[in-house]
Amino acid sequence: MNNTNKPLAVLSNVVYRLNGQTIIDNISLSLNEKRIGLVGCNGSGKSTLARLICGLVSPSSGRILVDGADVSKDRKSAIEKVGIIFQNPDHQIIFPTVEEEIAFGLSQTGRDDSEARRKARDFLNLFGKENWADKPVHSLSEGQKHLVCLLAVLAMKPKLIVLDEPFSGPDIPTTRRLFRYLRSLQESVLLITHDVAFLADFDRVVWIESGKVFMDGDAGLVLDEFARTMERRGETDDYADFAA
Amino acid sequence: MITLTSPHRTRYHDLPAGFKLASLCVLTVFLFSIDSLAVHLSAVAGIGFLYALGGSRFVRAGVRGLLPLWPFVAVLAVWHAITGSLITGIGIAAKLLAAVGLANLVTMTTRLDDILGVVRKLTLPFFRFGIRTGGLDLAVALVVRFTPSLLRKGQSLATAWRARSCKRTNWRIMVPLTLSAIDDAERVAEAIRARRGS
Amino acid sequence: MGARNRFAERDIALIALFAALVAALGLVPSLMLASGVPITAQSLGIMLCGTVLGSVRGFAAAGLFVLLVAMGLPLLAGGRGGLGLFVSPSAGFLIGFPVAAFSIGWIVERARSVNAFWAAAGGAVAGGVVVLYAFGIAGMALSLEKSLGEASLLALPFIPGDILKAILAGFITMSLARMRPDSVLSRRNRHFKR
Repeated sequence: MNNTNKPLAVLSNVVYRLNGQTIIDNISLSLNEKRIGLVGCNGSGKSTLARLICGLVSPSSGRILVDGADVSKDRKSAIEKVGIIFQNPDHQIIFPTVEEEIAFGLSQTGRDDSEARRKARDFLNLFGKENWADKPVHSLSEGQKHLVCLLAVLAMKPKLIVLDEPFSGPDIPTTRRLFRYLRSLQESVLLITHDVAFLADFDRVVWIESGKVFMDGDAGLVLDEFARTMERRGETDDYADFAA
Repeated sequence: MITLTSPHRTRYHDLPAGFKLASLCVLTVFLFSIDSLAVHLSAVAGIGFLYALGGSRFVRAGVRGLLPLWPFVAVLAVWHAITGSLITGIGIAAKLLAAVGLANLVTMTTRLDDILGVVRKLTLPFFRFGIRTGGLDLAVALVVRFTPSLLRKGQSLATAWRARSCKRTNWRIMVPLTLSAIDDAERVAEAIRARRGS
Repeated sequence: MGARNRFAERDIALIALFAALVAALGLVPSLMLASGVPITAQSLGIMLCGTVLGSVRGFAAAGLFVLLVAMGLPLLAGGRGGLGLFVSPSAGFLIGFPVAAFSIGWIVERARSVNAFWAAAGGAVAGGVVVLYAFGIAGMALSLEKSLGEASLLALPFIPGDILKAILAGFITMSLARMRPDSVLSRRNRHFKR
């Protein structure tokens, strides 16, 4: 566990409302661990929380600092400090070739295009994927596309990487491989997932329910309780929780 | 998907769609072929009266439907004020308001599937040697189904862009968006073939 | 011609999906375009119908979109729709959409030896600007009772934006051709699969 005095991400009294609905209801968190899991049911607000932490949406009230930067206001710092990976690579890969996709992020942090491209190539070399540079993205497999998304974010050297359910698309071997990759990363990781098995050896798990922190702490404890509760809910078939 | 049919029911909702569309055609041709200020002004008054019968909420919706015309009315006003032919300008504007108001009235009081029924009948001769029967209904359903989904894809691409850049999104996200339209089409075609068995 | 004119499932799906793309582009005003130019991307979508799908399918996709607008779906930029648009001064542009898409596709299909950017951008300028504005200006002249020259003055301010969109349509088509050559149907081998 890393024990710097200043936590990496600090959320203070964060509220997010959309069309009169409160989606995040006064969440305060101080995230310092290297591996943090975020669990919750559909509609609990975990994806919104991920977007808030990346500064992609601004909180209705409260403040979010990542490595000292107010991510929704200071976008320039935000893209250097925190990267996000979404569920479906087809909804986030913008450019036709791997090199362009990776160079895109690099060219945003002050480098010119040719330098960004060179850096992108260097970066691919680092991962032993130099033959990917000119590959058209569509020729890659689903798992490789996921890896491109991850590399594109890693190349920007963020302090924190947020992954929003990256394991609900790819097949099992791809998922395992991606997960191994993820565990080897030096960067701090916030992983949003339904699949509690991936979080077993994480440092901390936060459980969100109706926009509030329901439980927070040691991965083992939280996951046990989460699994039990989900099990119980699955057994009732009156759809009571759908009525709420 | 939301349509422009007024949720506020009026007596016009019950008239057959074919009748409304045919009357609209005849009246529009009449409006555009007659060159008389008196006729155009009374047409505006008459159509205003038709809206008024639908109640105040209906009138408000009708006025909203005419708002997009204001730049043209403004241009006409300026133009004819300068050329000193304001009466002609008023006549043109009245004709415009009457024609658009009448057409909007039909749109506001006719359900999508009723209009589709008329379109189906009218286009039957074309489709006999073009799209096979049911092709139009299918195409309409697909557009209604996929417009929001493409919109969402566009938005997620834009979000992915903003996550890595401070600059505004530009045309480049159109490339993956267009590709996803093509890919969706291939998948949909397969699904249709699977069910039609052809 | 009978067999060639028949639309297969795949064609119907492509036509519908491109009509949906045009509609979606109208609902995200100025999101996708070059910074600072507040124009809708809808006519860009019409251009792509022609450059990507080619003449016949492009015409059908743009036509389907216009038909849905006529039937009262609020798919035109700004959430507009309905029959009123077809008697308003801008009706010519709407009616010209399918013809523009057809002309663009026709040109791109005949310019296979030219590189994808120039073929698409050139086609989009000719069809999406020249042809489309011919319809649009004629419509304005008719409904506002002005001469063609006078009506063109009204259209003039919008032409630079549409030329820019035609150039973007060129870039997009070129990228598509580079990324997935077979996705640009207008430039595929004519006898691919029938």
